[in-house]
Amino acid sequence: MPEFDLQFTLFLLTNGVMIGLMYALIALGFVLIYKATDAINFAQGEFVMFAGFLAAGAAEYAHAPFWLCALLAVGGMVALGFGLERVVLRPLIGRPIIAVVMATIGLAAVLRGTAVLAFGAGTRAITMPIPDDPIPLGPVTLPPVEVVGAAVSLVFLAGFTWFFLKSRTGIAMRAVADSQQVAMAMGINVRRYFAFAWAMAGIVSALGGIVWGSMLGVDNQLALVGLKVFPVVILGGLDSVIGAVVGGLIVGIVENLAAGYFDPLVGGGTKDFVPYLLMIIVLMVRPEGIFGRRRIERV
Amino acid sequence: MFHRESGVFKTSYAADMALYPLPIARWAVAALAALFIVAAPLALGNYPLSILNLILIAVVGALGLNILVGYTGQISIGTGAFMSVGAYTAAKLVVIFHAPFWIALPAGGLMAAAVGAIVGIPSLRIKGIYLAISTLAAQLIIEWTINHVEWISGGVQASINVPRPSVFGTQLTSEWQIYLFLMFFVVLALVATLNLVRSRIGRAFIAIRDQDIAAEIIGINIFKYKLYAFAISSFFAGITGALESYYLGIANYEQFQIDVSIDYLAMVIIGGLGSVLGSVLGAIFVTLLPIATRWFLEASGGLFFAQADMLNVIPNLRLVIFGGLIIFFLVVEPEGLNRLWRNIRNYFRVWPFSY
Amino acid sequence: MKTLAKSVLALALGVAFAGAAAAEDKVLLIGDQCDRTGPTQIVGTVLCPAMQDYYKLVNSKGGIDGWMIKGDEIDNAYKVPEGIEAYERQKQMGALMMTFYGTPQVVALNQRLEQDHMPTTSPGFGISAAGDGKRFPYLFPIAATYWSQSAAAVQFAKDKLEGNLKGKKIAYVYYDNPAGKEPMPILEALQKQEGFELRTFAVPPPGVELGAQILDVTQRFHPDFVIAHLFGRSPSVLIKGLKGAGFPLSKVVGLVWASAEADILAAGGWPTAEGYNTIQFAGAGDDYPVRQEIKAMYKKEGKEPPKEMENTVVYNRGLLQAAIQVQALTNALKISSGKLPTREQVKEGMEQIKDFTLGGLVPPLQVTAADHEGGGWVRIFTAKGGKFVAATDWIHPYREVVENALKTAE
Repeated sequence: MPEFDLQFTLFLLTNGVMIGLMYALIALGFVLIYKATDAINFAQGEFVMFAGFLAAGAAEYAHAPFWLCALLAVGGMVALGFGLERVVLRPLIGRPIIAVVMATIGLAAVLRGTAVLAFGAGTRAITMPIPDDPIPLGPVTLPPVEVVGAAVSLVFLAGFTWFFLKSRTGIAMRAVADSQQVAMAMGINVRRYFAFAWAMAGIVSALGGIVWGSMLGVDNQLALVGLKVFPVVILGGLDSVIGAVVGGLIVGIVENLAAGYFDPLVGGGTKDFVPYLLMIIVLMVRPEGIFGRRRIERV
Repeated sequence: MFHRESGVFKTSYAADMALYPLPIARWAVAALAALFIVAAPLALGNYPLSILNLILIAVVGALGLNILVGYTGQISIGTGAFMSVGAYTAAKLVVIFHAPFWIALPAGGLMAAAVGAIVGIPSLRIKGIYLAISTLAAQLIIEWTINHVEWISGGVQASINVPRPSVFGTQLTSEWQIYLFLMFFVVLALVATLNLVRSRIGRAFIAIRDQDIAAEIIGINIFKYKLYAFAISSFFAGITGALESYYLGIANYEQFQIDVSIDYLAMVIIGGLGSVLGSVLGAIFVTLLPIATRWFLEASGGLFFAQADMLNVIPNLRLVIFGGLIIFFLVVEPEGLNRLWRNIRNYFRVWPFSY
Repeated sequence: MKTLAKSVLALALGVAFAGAAAAEDKVLLIGDQCDRTGPTQIVGTVLCPAMQDYYKLVNSKGGIDGWMIKGDEIDNAYKVPEGIEAYERQKQMGALMMTFYGTPQVVALNQRLEQDHMPTTSPGFGISAAGDGKRFPYLFPIAATYWSQSAAAVQFAKDKLEGNLKGKKIAYVYYDNPAGKEPMPILEALQKQEGFELRTFAVPPPGVELGAQILDVTQRFHPDFVIAHLFGRSPSVLIKGLKGAGFPLSKVVGLVWASAEADILAAGGWPTAEGYNTIQFAGAGDDYPVRQEIKAMYKKEGKEPPKEMENTVVYNRGLLQAAIQVQALTNALKISSGKLPTREQVKEGMEQIKDFTLGGLVPPLQVTAADHEGGGWVRIFTAKGGKFVAATDWIHPYREVVENALKTAE
């Protein structure tokens, strides 16, 4: 057993929390779509990547200032969300869930190819107007990018929680997710809210793309962060906004502790699959994740 | 249009239950068999045969995955991992005990089935997309295990050389020999699947897919049958993995990663869930599509792009077309190529009349 | 954007007839596999254009004694089935030699190479043991294998730490796949020989987040030197992370895939990466005659030199790969006395490569029938003031350790 070191553990925990909130940022887009439309978006990573390309491309070709690039990315992703909903997802309403899953897998390939054809394959940087030096906080230091990412996550968390609980649109979206047919019968325009959901996911992905893009650089590799989403959303529960954040935190912390204390024991990198193991254990107890809503099945 | 179904009268029970109720079906099967088993290996060169071989391997895997996803309704993103279990088991047996293929292949399949059954255990409680993601977990854990347990992987390279199989004392070295070898297993897999889905087990699978609670109420032990489904499907995957490592001459876990699992999932969904013909069509489609798009682009792209640009455009455009066609087919026909084929056939069956 | 518009046009019209290819009678066909779309495309999208540029340069100067080079390139997207298809296709087209891309593809196709007698280079990929030409007669790693690279990394650490590694701590941060684990036997052998403390830190693919590993390295292990063997996006994450943790980058050296201009950019730019070291088997930087010739070639066509050239590390590696192929073909043409060489002759040509430096871009390779690695030469470059500057000459230290490993490899 590697020696226990309090300060080191503290560092690991801090890093886990920060990175967990960054994961949550990507997971939120995923949850939004599932919550409102029942669709599993396997192209979430590609959404984030595409947003990164939009922001970095605006900076490169138009020499736009950062805020304008961010705005362009958000606008572009909203448009993309609306467009995709219209062309790809709407025809699949009411189809088996697996057809929707496959369509988003196809979408992922399309986005990857399109991004390179439109912007070129080279790596680009997104420079956020924030200092580079780590921010000290007691005994630990925090990288500024992660602080921004965490802040954005938390703002979204608060915003979406309010949105789904209180706003008319949010309540309508929940109704749509509950049962599309009943919602239609109650006079809710289901298609409109589907489009809304994809556009909102576009906004979240845009910010995710900017934050992750400034951390990793922008090219096709950025889409890989999408793989991190699955344990996060499943742990938290696919239809829970708070679940995405809690799931993110759990995954962030667990993988850091795994890397710090488990790796040296087994002689290999375990931080990618230990969250999955934890996920299975949690699922055996709560099959809908920690915050997921239990679906009552009827014959 | 080539035949009329009217005028075919069945005068005995045997004729009614016959495998091919229409003479043309019998002739069609015979012609296809002649074409693919006799003509293809004789007429085709190494390059087309190598593509056919890749398709044959994919067909076995797609059939297996369709049993799980299409017939039983349990989504799995772990096919690649089960393939690697089969591949390494077979490779180990061949290397250590010099086992012939007729031992190594079933052993690989059985080992994969055992692992698959274990992976299937959570399916008792976990359903739908949650289950799909836990099979993804299995994929990652199996990959990691193979990579890190040297006893399995055979060293740092995590790859084991597998000599080509010998049949009746002849080592199958050339492309057409291995083609026939693979074809044998494809036919076996086709017949096995067709029979399975018509058996008691197959009907239980379908009942579980349609609604598992209802199936449980009518007395189907759903846990048992879900595990069966995982085991049988993984058995096919294990055989696929072993066949692939025989074909390539090496078992290496990097050949069986998540993208492979997703490719196989694409085959069964695009081909048609719960359909044997769909699995075959899907395997052909997914294997051939990237290759065919490139042929097409190489032929026509020169009109629009300079040669230097083309090398960059082709791969990316290929991705776009690949994804685009997947979406297109799902939008046009969410039930897959199999349904599309049936629609076309039904149209021509009564052609030129509309019904 | 223009590319995208044109792609749409090409599809919309869907013209399916082949442009009449100009009939060239004296053509030497090389089959290259490439990865412009898969997980490692950030390398492939620079490496492969560089190879094409070199062929073009050779052809613009009249080819090899009038023989034109044609490099057929197929994108395998890092997938094995596509790699097989590409191989069979290029073999059918009559390729004299090939270059593979990707370790899984190399191991999957190795058996075919021996069956078809296809000389193939796999620079920076595949199996270190393939340096042994007797066991792998048709596979040519050509460039220094991971074994040679890791030996050079230890030597570099020794030089940086006042020539003595006794009691020093070295951290080995590696990508947790077969390629990443490959240098370990060499590192362990050298650990005994030099008496340093070695600890390994695994980075599971794809390694977009290394917070815990960086903390482990900098806050718990406190190494004197870090050797990194990472791929894809993880190198830049490591550079950024170590910098953020205050670890001196001058005490960090990355093996061949862990550092290119694109990684520096993704890590936050040259000022961030100042001092970072990288081991390369092709010279980095712009100061090579061949690069100037390529620029001149583009200028003559009235075009700007391609953007890929700015990524000198990967671009030059592509030049090296193509140059080795061309050199082997040149030798083969001598053997075949001007006729179309056979694959066997190309293999022989490959095994005669020596004293071929391309103005310093290529190390002093000496390929023989027994040594397909060509001596295991590398050169270490340091990020300094916005570019990579050579920190050492071409070196191949601890050769006996590497050769010993080659001998004992099963």
